[in-house]
Amino acid sequence: MTATLRQDVTALLAANLQLTRGGFTLDVQLTLAPGEVLALLGPNGSGKSTVLDLLAGLATPDTGTVTLGGATLTAPGRLVAPENRAIGLLGQEPLLFPHLSARANVAFALRVGEAQLNAASARVQADRWLDRVGLAGLGSNLPGALSGGQQQRVALARALAAGPRVLLLDEPMAALDAETAPFIRQLIREQLAETGTSAIIVTHDIVDAVVLADRVAVLHHGALIDEGTTAAVLAAPQNPFVAALAGVNLVVGTAQDGAVVAPDGRTFWVRPADAAALSPATPAREAPGSGTPAPAAPAPVAAVFRPASVVVHTERPHHASPRNVWSARVRSIEPGTGGVRLRTSGDPEVIAELTPAAVADLGLQVGSTVWLSVKATDVSAYRR
Amino acid sequence: MIPRLLYLPASIGLALLVLPLAGLLLKVDWPALPALLLSPEALQPLGLSLVTASVSTLLCLLLGVPLAVVIARSQPRAAGLLRALVTVPLVLPPLVGGIALLSLLGRGGVLGNTLELAGLRIPFTTAAVVIAQTFVALPFLVIAVEGALRTAGIRYERVAATLGAGRGTVFALITLPLVGPGLLAGTVLSFARALGEFGATALFAGNHVGVTRTMPLAIYTAFNGSGVTTDQAVALSLLLIAVAVIILVLVGTRRASVLS
Repeated sequence: MTATLRQDVTALLAANLQLTRGGFTLDVQLTLAPGEVLALLGPNGSGKSTVLDLLAGLATPDTGTVTLGGATLTAPGRLVAPENRAIGLLGQEPLLFPHLSARANVAFALRVGEAQLNAASARVQADRWLDRVGLAGLGSNLPGALSGGQQQRVALARALAAGPRVLLLDEPMAALDAETAPFIRQLIREQLAETGTSAIIVTHDIVDAVVLADRVAVLHHGALIDEGTTAAVLAAPQNPFVAALAGVNLVVGTAQDGAVVAPDGRTFWVRPADAAALSPATPAREAPGSGTPAPAAPAPVAAVFRPASVVVHTERPHHASPRNVWSARVRSIEPGTGGVRLRTSGDPEVIAELTPAAVADLGLQVGSTVWLSVKATDVSAYRR
Repeated sequence: MIPRLLYLPASIGLALLVLPLAGLLLKVDWPALPALLLSPEALQPLGLSLVTASVSTLLCLLLGVPLAVVIARSQPRAAGLLRALVTVPLVLPPLVGGIALLSLLGRGGVLGNTLELAGLRIPFTTAAVVIAQTFVALPFLVIAVEGALRTAGIRYERVAATLGAGRGTVFALITLPLVGPGLLAGTVLSFARALGEFGATALFAGNHVGVTRTMPLAIYTAFNGSGVTTDQAVALSLLLIAVAVIILVLVGTRRASVLS
């Protein structure tokens, strides 16, 4: 466990939450500094949205506390209502009140939120907010007359206009098309910075974390398994989910003679610089974000390599200079960021990235048996 | 893309609904109609019906909307039970409702005795008319509003809360407008049901001129009365139909203007 409750006196928000529902257990400790943006990464079902609901007061934890600026919002026997928390929420869907115009939606937040404006000044301020999010002149439109991206802009303006001390963002770009999402992401970044709003953004899109967040926490099966600056977490993925996000292959296995042995027995030779660190005698390279040295053997080790480093052959390569060669079946062929991604069988699956032309040349199909190779010098390794 | 065979039963169904009304129109003694409608025998029940049905509808709104909210926001099991309890008066013959009301509030009834000691007598008063109408009309309002509330869900209310709006504000500014169409439909149905209420009123409130003789009771009295003519009954029926049509048209245009 790399993430522990830091008794950080400068923390704006501190949460320690436990919840069990059916077979799902959530146990999370996190803090947020003033003005900080934290990305909560995790696969579907990892409990991300539950964490936000617990922070917003929309759900009650079994045990735990939430404090904001020294005030206790959630504690045993105490649950401050959502409307008195000053914690805002912007979700996947804009959820603009359908019977109110864009202006009236924002004005609603200005009237009931931190500002407590009267109706007239709320209308004036609402128009300023719409201007800030690039919707000047559209204030009279009902939500139904706005595009999805425009609706999300109004929702952002409304959420910020309420003056939250912390804004929770629950995959705010997930429902937008690929062309609109970058604009909204940029807008959120600008507006968070301009207003100095602290925020927690839940996402499974690495771009959100890279663009918006100062710090990343990774949630898996209800627990934080990794935490640190965005760059550090992505550079040394601790689990397959983060590796997939970072766009790399991750093989977690055991160390053997300076190589990493996968659960299915494949051996991955790693670059010489890292091989030494895999030996149990040598002190481990410390994983970024970790406050404690890695525990003693049998400590798991990890090999990391880029999908583009994986070479695909249809026959066993004979004059193989790479030391890592194995055969596998093609599980799926998907479009990737740098070409076509081939998911291949094994534990773990390995992803190879190649050009569409290469896929056609090799006559690859789902179910094809292929030979894969990766140079040892392209494989980095570290202890977990 | 409709199977042609469906047109036959559809036509018969429509005829069943329309032809009796057409028959009624044919029976109307048009030259005598103005006099019949302007007679106290017509105007008094009409006034009483409009007043009592309006009060009943208001009561339905005041009691039914909160009840609908409670049901819609209850746990599924509790909601199912409450919904069943609300639906019973809907499927009950109104006469049975009248007997039930008498059993509770009438002389010798559980509550009736207590009220009598306090000097209050409900049966056979205008108040009894309103209670009977509310009894039969309330389920329509509750079911319409509850359905609308469940369809609307709680997502908008949650968002409003995270913006800082208290429960009362959320209810008034978000929840009620969201269920507006359902609320309107429920109100119209309740009013129509209250206006047409006969069975429960007849048993529980009786048929006293100017006190409990509403339009339906006046029609029944005219029809069953001295055996002279049914013209009065037909004229009153026409009046009741006219009132219903006017309300439907008024609501229809309101609705259209809300949607545009």
